[in-house]
Amino acid sequence: MIEIRLSVDYDEYENGVRISQLIDQLTEKPNAANISVLTIGDWGQAYENGPDDAIESLVKHKHIFTGLSSLFLGDMDSEECEVSWINQTNIAPLLEAYPNLRSLTVKGSTNLSFEPLQHAALQELKIICGGLPKSVIEQIAGSQLPELRRLELYLGVDDYGFDASLEEVLAVAKPNLFPKLTYLGLKNSELQDEIAIAIADSPIVDQLDTLDLSYGTLTDVGAEALITSERVKKLKHLDLNYHYMSDKMVERWKATGLSVDLSDGQDADEDDWRYPYITE
Amino acid sequence: MAATASVQPYLLIGNPGNKRTLGLQAARQKLGLPPAIVLPYSDLLNRSIHLGESIRQAATNSQPLEGKPIIIRLEAPGENPLVERELIAWGAEFEGSRKDLTSGLSVTAAKALRLPEEYGRILYPGQWYRGYCRLLAELREAAQQSDSPIRWVNDPADVAVMFDKRRCQQLLSQNGVPTPAMPAPAGSIRDYESLLAAVQSSRMNRLFIKLAYGSGASGIIAYQRHPVTGSEIAITTIGVEQHNDEQLYYNSGKLQRYTDHATIRLIIDWLCREGAQIERWIEKDSIDGSSYDIRQLVVNGSPCHALARLSRTPITNLHLRNERRLITDGMLSAILKEQVEHTAVSALAAFNGSTVAGIDVLVQKKRGLTYICDVNPFGDLLYHAEHKGMNTYEWQMSLLQQ
Repeated sequence: MIEIRLSVDYDEYENGVRISQLIDQLTEKPNAANISVLTIGDWGQAYENGPDDAIESLVKHKHIFTGLSSLFLGDMDSEECEVSWINQTNIAPLLEAYPNLRSLTVKGSTNLSFEPLQHAALQELKIICGGLPKSVIEQIAGSQLPELRRLELYLGVDDYGFDASLEEVLAVAKPNLFPKLTYLGLKNSELQDEIAIAIADSPIVDQLDTLDLSYGTLTDVGAEALITSERVKKLKHLDLNYHYMSDKMVERWKATGLSVDLSDGQDADEDDWRYPYITE
Repeated sequence: MAATASVQPYLLIGNPGNKRTLGLQAARQKLGLPPAIVLPYSDLLNRSIHLGESIRQAATNSQPLEGKPIIIRLEAPGENPLVERELIAWGAEFEGSRKDLTSGLSVTAAKALRLPEEYGRILYPGQWYRGYCRLLAELREAAQQSDSPIRWVNDPADVAVMFDKRRCQQLLSQNGVPTPAMPAPAGSIRDYESLLAAVQSSRMNRLFIKLAYGSGASGIIAYQRHPVTGSEIAITTIGVEQHNDEQLYYNSGKLQRYTDHATIRLIIDWLCREGAQIERWIEKDSIDGSSYDIRQLVVNGSPCHALARLSRTPITNLHLRNERRLITDGMLSAILKEQVEHTAVSALAAFNGSTVAGIDVLVQKKRGLTYICDVNPFGDLLYHAEHKGMNTYEWQMSLLQQ
């Protein structure tokens, strides 16, 4: 198993280095076929450029990177580019070119799309962003990912591109959509309470090992629905890391004996505003 | 009497009773040294005491000096509203040679002394700095005039340069010490409009805009502009309030994130008018998902105490919610640690008359290059940091005994 990380920093980009060149160079490695994990960080001033040439180059070399099973597109932090400013693009050509891919993580949602989202082997899909557009949520709800086991969506806030309704979000949490799904993360949301209330008594929970409602604005309101749900009690793990629950509610969770991540409790600010973990 | 008489007198110019003064006195006591003679800024500023006179007294009381100079240490003048107002008043009267700097807003001396206490308000920083320079120049002159041999821990002339980030940056680059690049020559960005022009011509879309004077996180903006859409984000502790016809600028104590052009323009115009150092935002290296920089203390040309300052925001030197971590084994590679120390030592070496500074060192993500982003003459108030079993003050006092 070989893990590779490629990135183009500000100065390299200014000096003409392009991510596609680095991918081209990677093909010359004798063990290129054994690369199983590829992480692409900043592809160079991502606030201005999408990863199109990275995708183009990866598609072109699909017969060389035959062992690729895990791909992260856009692993960069706010020292390089604000997450809401990361330009993405249509990811579908990548999925088509790599039928053996098991795991895909994408960071950034500006111009992000999957046209279409279908893959016969993909087991994990994770999208990290400050605001997930309705268009992408609809593509996920209409996707064909029969092997999907883990779905993690950072929903974010409307200031940074989240424009779906609760019903539209819940469309990705239908039991027959992903029959093998065992990990569902609908997280980093400003609708975290509403999501918790809707999910708590949803049949989707019955097929899950882990429900991940972390990083959002979860308060006692949403927590009450979860803690009283018979379905939630059967989960192996509930992730509520980064939350706005009261100390009393946290104590109640502890008393249940369930496996619950309750770390990183937040306090609303003086204007009673609550923010998800990643918004910018 | 001979034993006590041979102890070197130590004058401390500072604000009595604050953590710095108490920390230094505690260290002296621990090491069996007599207390430093504290000369309060407030007394020097209202001229109820005079440095020349204090030197004379110290010399008389410590005869024979046996060739050892009287040591004079300047401490930070900050966190004292009375001293702050006196310094602003001194700045009003100062019409010296500092015409090269933009003057900023000003207030008369009489008015300065009557300024009400408003929590967090940033008062006339340009004028405050002029006042502090005037005091520093006067103290230096008084020490020079005295008949006794003296030694400054940090030469007041150096402190004046360290406390103006523009002059400091200039001196460091003249001495070949790496500092972040600037989008335009120093002083050429006079307002928001000229900043935008510099952003466009330099292609530096991410900048730090810093109030030139003083130290710490107050008055710093992490600024970025989207080259295509023109959107802007300014992350800063600076808050602005409209008060009748006047804007009041203050430290809000927590980070604000501005995206509206009008507010950003207002704050940048103000910073530029007072005097700003504007430099490229070097993308910082990270530890455990937080970006960091290093506060490296240098004493007598050697590196000693160091802390990593970790943050999930661009501004690492905020006390609020940021984590300070001792540099433990394995946190930085041996090569990087040495490079940080070397860069910090070279920064202090650019100042001929100074022996102590807390140097802020940036480590660039991916490349591991180091840059100096601040030289703080009073940067030795580091809690919990130890070097050879001693805190920062104990270490400095122990060096006197060698």
